[in-house]
Amino acid sequence: MKVTRTGLLGLGAIAVTAAFVLSGCTPGTDGGAGTGGTLTVWVDAERLDALQGAADDYSEQTGVEVELVGKDNATIKDDFIQQAPTGEGPDIVMGAHDWLGELTTNGVVAPLELGDSAGDYLDVAIQAATYDGTIYMLPYAVENIAVLRNADLVPEAAASFDDMIAAGKAAGLAQPFVVEQGAEGNPYHLYPFQTAFGAPVFGSTDAGYDATDLQLGNEGGTEFAAWLGSQGKNGTGVFNTDIDGAIAKQAFLDGTAAFWLTGPWNVGSALDAGINVAIDPIPSPTSDAAQPFAGVKGFFLSAESENKVAATDFLVNYLGSEDVQLALFEAGNILPALSAAADTASSDPIIAGFSTVGADAVPMPAIPAMGSVWQYWGIAEAAIINGEDPAATWAKLAADVSAAIG
Amino acid sequence: MTTTAPAPVQKKLPRRSLVAWLADTGWRHLVAIAVSIFAVFPLLFVISSALNPNGTLTGSNALFSKFGPDSFIRILTGNQTPYLLWFGNSVFIAAVTAVASTLMAALAAYAFSRMRFTGRRFGLITIVVIQMFPQLLGAVAIFLMMTAIGDIFPVLGLSSRLGLIMVYLGGALGVNTYLMYGFFNTVPVEIDEAAKIDGAGHARIFFSIILRLVAPILAVVALLSVIASFSEYLIASVLLIDPESQTLAVGLVKLVSNPRYADWSAFSAGAIMAAIPVVLLFLALQRYIVGGLTAGAVK
Amino acid sequence: MTRSSLLALVVKIVLLAFIDAVAVYAAFFVLLQGNLVATVAILVVTALINVVYLARRRFLPAKYLTPGLLFLAVFQIFVLLYTGYVGFTNYGTGHNGSKEQAVSSLLASSLVRVEDSPTYPVTVVDRLGQLGLLITDPEDDTAYVGTADEPLTEVDAEFENGKAVSTAGWTSLTFQQVIARTAEITELAVPFSDDPNDGALRTPDGSSAYRYLSTLEYDESAGTMTDDRGVVYSDIGTGAFVAENGEELRPGWQITVGGDNFVRALTESSIRGPLLYVTAWTFAFAIGSVVLCFALGLLLALTFEHARMRGVRYYRLLMILPYAFPAFLSILVWGGMMNESFGFLNQVVFGGADIPWLSDPTLAKVSVLLVNLWLGFPYMFLICTGALQAIPGELTEAARVDGARGWNLFRHIKLPLLLSTTAPVLIASFAFNFNNFNLVYLLNNGGPRDTTTSLPVGHTDLLISMVYKVAFTGQNRDYGLASAFSILIFVIVAGIAIFSFSRTRALEDIQR
Repeated sequence: MKVTRTGLLGLGAIAVTAAFVLSGCTPGTDGGAGTGGTLTVWVDAERLDALQGAADDYSEQTGVEVELVGKDNATIKDDFIQQAPTGEGPDIVMGAHDWLGELTTNGVVAPLELGDSAGDYLDVAIQAATYDGTIYMLPYAVENIAVLRNADLVPEAAASFDDMIAAGKAAGLAQPFVVEQGAEGNPYHLYPFQTAFGAPVFGSTDAGYDATDLQLGNEGGTEFAAWLGSQGKNGTGVFNTDIDGAIAKQAFLDGTAAFWLTGPWNVGSALDAGINVAIDPIPSPTSDAAQPFAGVKGFFLSAESENKVAATDFLVNYLGSEDVQLALFEAGNILPALSAAADTASSDPIIAGFSTVGADAVPMPAIPAMGSVWQYWGIAEAAIINGEDPAATWAKLAADVSAAIG
Repeated sequence: MTTTAPAPVQKKLPRRSLVAWLADTGWRHLVAIAVSIFAVFPLLFVISSALNPNGTLTGSNALFSKFGPDSFIRILTGNQTPYLLWFGNSVFIAAVTAVASTLMAALAAYAFSRMRFTGRRFGLITIVVIQMFPQLLGAVAIFLMMTAIGDIFPVLGLSSRLGLIMVYLGGALGVNTYLMYGFFNTVPVEIDEAAKIDGAGHARIFFSIILRLVAPILAVVALLSVIASFSEYLIASVLLIDPESQTLAVGLVKLVSNPRYADWSAFSAGAIMAAIPVVLLFLALQRYIVGGLTAGAVK
Repeated sequence: MTRSSLLALVVKIVLLAFIDAVAVYAAFFVLLQGNLVATVAILVVTALINVVYLARRRFLPAKYLTPGLLFLAVFQIFVLLYTGYVGFTNYGTGHNGSKEQAVSSLLASSLVRVEDSPTYPVTVVDRLGQLGLLITDPEDDTAYVGTADEPLTEVDAEFENGKAVSTAGWTSLTFQQVIARTAEITELAVPFSDDPNDGALRTPDGSSAYRYLSTLEYDESAGTMTDDRGVVYSDIGTGAFVAENGEELRPGWQITVGGDNFVRALTESSIRGPLLYVTAWTFAFAIGSVVLCFALGLLLALTFEHARMRGVRYYRLLMILPYAFPAFLSILVWGGMMNESFGFLNQVVFGGADIPWLSDPTLAKVSVLLVNLWLGFPYMFLICTGALQAIPGELTEAARVDGARGWNLFRHIKLPLLLSTTAPVLIASFAFNFNNFNLVYLLNNGGPRDTTTSLPVGHTDLLISMVYKVAFTGQNRDYGLASAFSILIFVIVAGIAIFSFSRTRALEDIQR
């Protein structure tokens, strides 16, 4: 019995080992010497369709396989930073310009040479794609918020913030203006009002934002805080931290709000709901313009890519083409970063409306110090809206932020 | 727990009195209805959102203001949402994981319950304590491990369903083993001994006698395992890169991960359909879970 | 030997053979990679598996435990060891990869295009394996060729559309060949002239070249970086190049830092203030969740344990529904329902009340427990339903004969038996809730925020979510510190668990 058992076992082991070693060898040489290799591109899941055409075209023309991977937008940046050093990460990753500080600090992105085509992009896009004097991103879109107006309820654009509220009340609405907040505030959506009081986050030099020059707590900031408090819970109640994205959206779709401060990403659902949407500049509470942040979307080249030549070629010469930029525009309804495509897209009154507002927009700071700002900013604004003393809260915010920046 | 209704009363009256009914089953229905409402009403938002193709998840309290199957159609036919493929992947991964991990846990529980060996106590504690480790870097570590394994055996590497199943099996020994262990202990040892006298080996006793007696706990553990792998997101999202290999959890989350483009309606529709296999499985396993088999076998 | 035992033998042999084959192949592969430790580990483990299953009547427990333990070791214990290892490194933002990666990234970022230099159309060419760039000067349409060692020299070339495409003595590379030699081409820098200050030509995409100057110089033998102002940055063992004035170049790289992270974790002053109440709440939350979920689950299991009750099947089904939906979806729904001004609870259930479910520090804690009860009771219900089946019928019958009824029967017979089977589940559930990061994060992000401290900590933050907020501030991810914190928390939880186990009868057998 024992002999049979061991004998059988040995035979089996040899047979299976042989089979495995044989089959294991073949995939070992895989990797495509005959073809031009593979480019792995991580993209936001909702942009996958728009890029598929460009990817297929590129494969056809060059023999380089382009594998598009739709990734979870919430984890794409951290996954990329974690996986790039292992060599298993993607060659190209889609993202936003304000990631640049973090990506370069971690050394996971490679500089991108746009060559002469740099001049073909909107200025704000190139500005945003540049970090420490080097371009790292191929921009594809520029987005900013603006006011969506229900033109059936209020036919005319408002000249100032108070005008807007008055016009809405006149139309019989209890909460005429909605903007997305939340328990932790939402400084991105309040920033235009803050700039109207002359309080940017950082001062800037020729090289970009200056982390050592925190402007947040200046006099204008304190005035803004006082105004915010007066429009909060204990004041007019225009701002309410209970209004989150879903509630703001629903209020506008249901016609209970006539003005909605939001981005182009929400225009689609407003149109689907049959609202007669007009895009207005952001009504300012002061005599100065209310400037929103501009966010620039783009593609980064991984520093660990083993296929940099093809990746650069694909980025600069394919994704930078007008066709692809327009396809991406149609998928997301945001202004293309390529000037020619932006002109074409602006024939749409909605996009034109956003880009008019965008002319005033300032790029969101990408410097690492901005991370410390976000951490305290919203919560302070939420506290002011909910009735905390504006001046003291704002002063604590400025102190906390400068302590965190160090 | 108890029946306080006196038997003679039942015989005399054609219908039991309200008090007796309340004491016997009535209160049970009251508890059941109360908890059912608690359990179900948050899910009404999900159903309402799924039926309202343009709606938000929590933006409105006007539930069921719109009715339409559009979201179900959208998710079943969408170009970028191979829902049925994800569904198949999830079912496959959950089924294999459940069967294999239940078996592995049962094997271990049998050893812990019926055999005495050095390190038994230590082993029992260790398998539970290890699972308490905060999984902060779990996904990173597993990713590194699987790329290393993938270099050797491409079939188990990234984007491999078998690879993911292996990772899930890493959790087979855990608190569920314990649960089984407790259950195994309640099976009288005389049964084993009688079988041994009849000449059955340990494997035979385990597979053909014990396993049948512990069916309720096998069913519970299998169900828990199915639910766990059906809803596991973190590791699956890191390992399953290829869209064709992804599970429902990974695929669906992509619909809502970007708050600006979140399609909660389609997500809800997808989540409702994803709950169906779990519900069916529960219905199928219920008679094992609540006994019947054990009652007759354990004398 | 009967037929079935022969079958079992065959199955066993085939499985063992398969495992051996896989292991030998893996060991061979790992050996080729030069990883001796892993090779030995694989071979030893395989040998042990063979011994365990081939030995007759010995190692019986091991025969049953090996499959589960194997997977446990490969995946769970590996995660544990990896996290432990990271706890001793500086892994985090700015220290993300290896030193080579940091050096190459620094050098790549330091390239600056020579001002006003044009774009040069380029063809990549090869001579006996050495790569060169054949470039066209866009101003006078002359062709130059150069390699990494030889600066550009003018050559005669054939032109196509104003671009030099080939020249004598060199083979022009097709696009496919260019792609195949990406690594060499990315490295290739052709000096523009004999003067290094004129910069060097590089081609990022294989079709255009640009002239760059580098602002950083790496001296490999000295291990230092020198920038164009002459400042020397050296590796002083902190995982980055540091100048004398303390200025650091980013990115740095990963190094082991000994016990630094643990020292920082234990001496971190910013958590001093909130530490006490966060710890108290963490225990309250974990214990409260277990007690509530178990109580409701048990109540339901007992309620439905009645032969004459109608519709039990359907009630049971409704009970497990919360468990069949993705938790994060349900948590968001609950968050919406608890919205103070617009939520379903205040608007519909409480008829327009202003109950601050999530913004009042005390009520927020209640809300978190309520949501966790909803998420957790189906699990306990299933467990209790299963465990109730394990209570032998004759035991309850005997007790009944002795006159035990209702509460007494439950309290003295069923509950002790139930607790001894479910105690481990309760302990594990305690540990799970102790670290229930997702619920706290998704429902309210630990809010309402405690505005008296400078940490972004809130009144429902658990220990685990608080330490994440310490380790992950702004854009800074300090995985080393977070791992050290995780390990410390694990020590606490594991200590409590081991202590509780020693107090339960769960480890003892019941019937012997």
